[in-house]
Amino acid sequence: MALLQIAEPGQSAKPHQRKLAVGIDLGTTHSLVATVRSGRAETLADSKGVHLLPSVVRYRADELPQVGTKALQHLVDDAANTIMSVKRLMGRGLQDVTRLGEQMSYVFEACESGMPMLRTAAGLKSPVQVSADILRVLAQRGEASLGGDLVGAVITVPAYFDDAQRQATKDAATLSGIQVLRLLNEPTAAAVAYGLDNEQEGTIAVFDLGGGTFDISILRMQKGVFEVLATGGDSALGGDDFDHAIANWVCGERNIQNLDLAQQRFLLRQARQAKEQLSDTTVTNINFADWPGTNCPADIELTRGQLNSLLDPVIAKTLRATKKALRDAGMTIDDINQIVMVGGSTRVLRVQEKVAELFGRPPLTNIDPDRVVALGAARQADVLVGNQTGDEMLLLDVLPLSLGLETMGGLVEKVIDRNTPIPVARAQEFTTYQDGQVAMAIHVLQGERDLVQDCRSLARFELRGIPSMAAGAAKVRVTFQVDADGLLEVSARELNSGVATAVQVKPSYGLSENEIADMIKASWSNVDIDRGARSLREQQVEADRLLASISIAMEADGERLLTEDEQKAIIKQMETLIVARNGEDHHAIAKQIEILAKATDTFAGRRMDDSIKRALAGKAVDNI
Amino acid sequence: MDLTKDYFSNLGLPCSYQIDLAALADSHRQLQQAHHPDRFAASGEAEQRQAVQTASYLNQAYGVLRSPLKRAIYLLELQGMEPLAPTNTSMPMDFLLQQMQLRERMEELPAAADVETELEQLADELMAMHKQLQTDFASTYEAGQLPTAEVVVRKLQFIEKLQQECNDLEGRLLD
Repeated sequence: MALLQIAEPGQSAKPHQRKLAVGIDLGTTHSLVATVRSGRAETLADSKGVHLLPSVVRYRADELPQVGTKALQHLVDDAANTIMSVKRLMGRGLQDVTRLGEQMSYVFEACESGMPMLRTAAGLKSPVQVSADILRVLAQRGEASLGGDLVGAVITVPAYFDDAQRQATKDAATLSGIQVLRLLNEPTAAAVAYGLDNEQEGTIAVFDLGGGTFDISILRMQKGVFEVLATGGDSALGGDDFDHAIANWVCGERNIQNLDLAQQRFLLRQARQAKEQLSDTTVTNINFADWPGTNCPADIELTRGQLNSLLDPVIAKTLRATKKALRDAGMTIDDINQIVMVGGSTRVLRVQEKVAELFGRPPLTNIDPDRVVALGAARQADVLVGNQTGDEMLLLDVLPLSLGLETMGGLVEKVIDRNTPIPVARAQEFTTYQDGQVAMAIHVLQGERDLVQDCRSLARFELRGIPSMAAGAAKVRVTFQVDADGLLEVSARELNSGVATAVQVKPSYGLSENEIADMIKASWSNVDIDRGARSLREQQVEADRLLASISIAMEADGERLLTEDEQKAIIKQMETLIVARNGEDHHAIAKQIEILAKATDTFAGRRMDDSIKRALAGKAVDNI
Repeated sequence: MDLTKDYFSNLGLPCSYQIDLAALADSHRQLQQAHHPDRFAASGEAEQRQAVQTASYLNQAYGVLRSPLKRAIYLLELQGMEPLAPTNTSMPMDFLLQQMQLRERMEELPAAADVETELEQLADELMAMHKQLQTDFASTYEAGQLPTAEVVVRKLQFIEKLQQECNDLEGRLLD
């Protein structure tokens, strides 16, 4: 064997030395780091052999933060300084997190950028900083087990994460000193872990049931392009609901009432154990030997059959959400070629059975569902640093939510549609609305709906220094550039003058996590409302434009060119239009616009004649 | 890759309406393999920027050439025409009448006795018209009858819009 290690002079002793790269699953409740060694993806353990790192950080005055299990132990006795579920706060504004904070019991403060800050014993901490502290521990673990500096990492994010949430995740990595090779969608990572990127084409359902959240994603794989067709789920549904169902059943059977906190915890722990045991055996015993209280109830037997009937109502909810996601994707059950299971709660046999029953085929379960996302990320990281040779996989992602700009009347004009393969650059031309307009406000939005108020505001900036021109003469080209991570950069240029400005999109915040996930769904059910609302806004803008131009003309020439009766008649029609404009009926506005336009025809004609006369006045015919 | 050149030459295809879609997909995939930012994930910022631009161009080119409507528009634009300019609105009367009839049918569809069959029939008819228009475009364009080809493009756009609305309607009715 030693002969094989002899190297030619001048050649590296290790011709195939690998670059060190990791995949990181930055999760809501726990995080993982994984890498590819000897062709196999594996998760990395800490010095005690533990793989899962609880996503919990505890801050102390004048000391380094504690991360993971150590921090988790202080969740109760030092609640205000012990931050958990920080992923729910990423890329969110103060308003959103205050709403979430009611359940989270942290003290928030605003900072200059509008980013919410958590008040801790170690000072103010942003969600980005908290995430960075988790990432730092994972990167250190990677370097310790791989024995060298990391070239970079692939970090996973939920498929429905918008630009602000992705940007916040990337910022956290930068802050922790990690070079981000790529932000990868979690369901895509899970599919990669199973090697589904090697298939020529197919449609994949990724069923992700964690402790407290459920996500379903429908992906299409077409010759190396992964496309997220639809996402759905329930942010308050998971394995915890299973435990509660079992505990409630036990209480009923043994007539246990008025539980104190310790008894509740005891019961939930026993319930979880019974649930886990029944994946291996068909009957188990819930024993009350360590019951914290008097009147110790008798032990109770739970069979797999009984367990199933307790879990079925919860599982039914996940199946309903799955069917809805399929409909949103324009797919039927028969179109699905593979089902990938993610999240610890998919270990429950009944979940696997029910999913298999729905799809008419068994789901893929042979990779640990807690680690599958991190393992897929590791595979992708290995490819990205160039460790794979030959037929390399290439994951082309798509934009998760449409990008657009605000136009007059609070409408959103889409510039790039969702599900467009990224990276992508697109330009759209806009023009000025008023004579002599020298600046233009540019408001970038993300979402599927037609109205600004229903989309997520990503950034606002101004293009100044447009030369004064008539309305509609300036040509402002706004260019969107989305990179491979789904992150956006916007620039604007006035084409006649060359005045330009650019902005890297920094979140201006405003929506809750559920609202984002709901935005896609809502766009399907709100097509009619949006169409009506769009027509109304368009007519209102048109009405305002007409009213403004007539007012200016009346003020300038009304008295000179019109009789008193004519003036009154026009003013009366203007008033009627104002009433219609403030109403809800776009047909009525359109009709009154036509009437008013007709009523001012004569006036417009006289103004035209008048301006020609004036232009010609006092000039010799030769000079014309 | 010279990004100022047209999509056809960069993707190695003849500048024609009738193209081999499988060859297009292969070419796009091969070029993305070489130019995608993922290939430069560990490289410097300048190379990454360049890669983002090239990959964006390729995605854009692929999107345009793959779509029968966008490809037709692009071919005419290469000839210096503006088939979708807002001033360019004149359409043959018989086509407009047909459009109105199709639209009426779609409006009345939700009240039909057998919605699913009616929807399917309408979708099939639109698909057939779409196919025919593609053939019309190919023959007029290749024959150099550009003004006629321009009218065909606008017809194609009308039909695609109807197809889109038909899809939306299906989503709402069958949900």
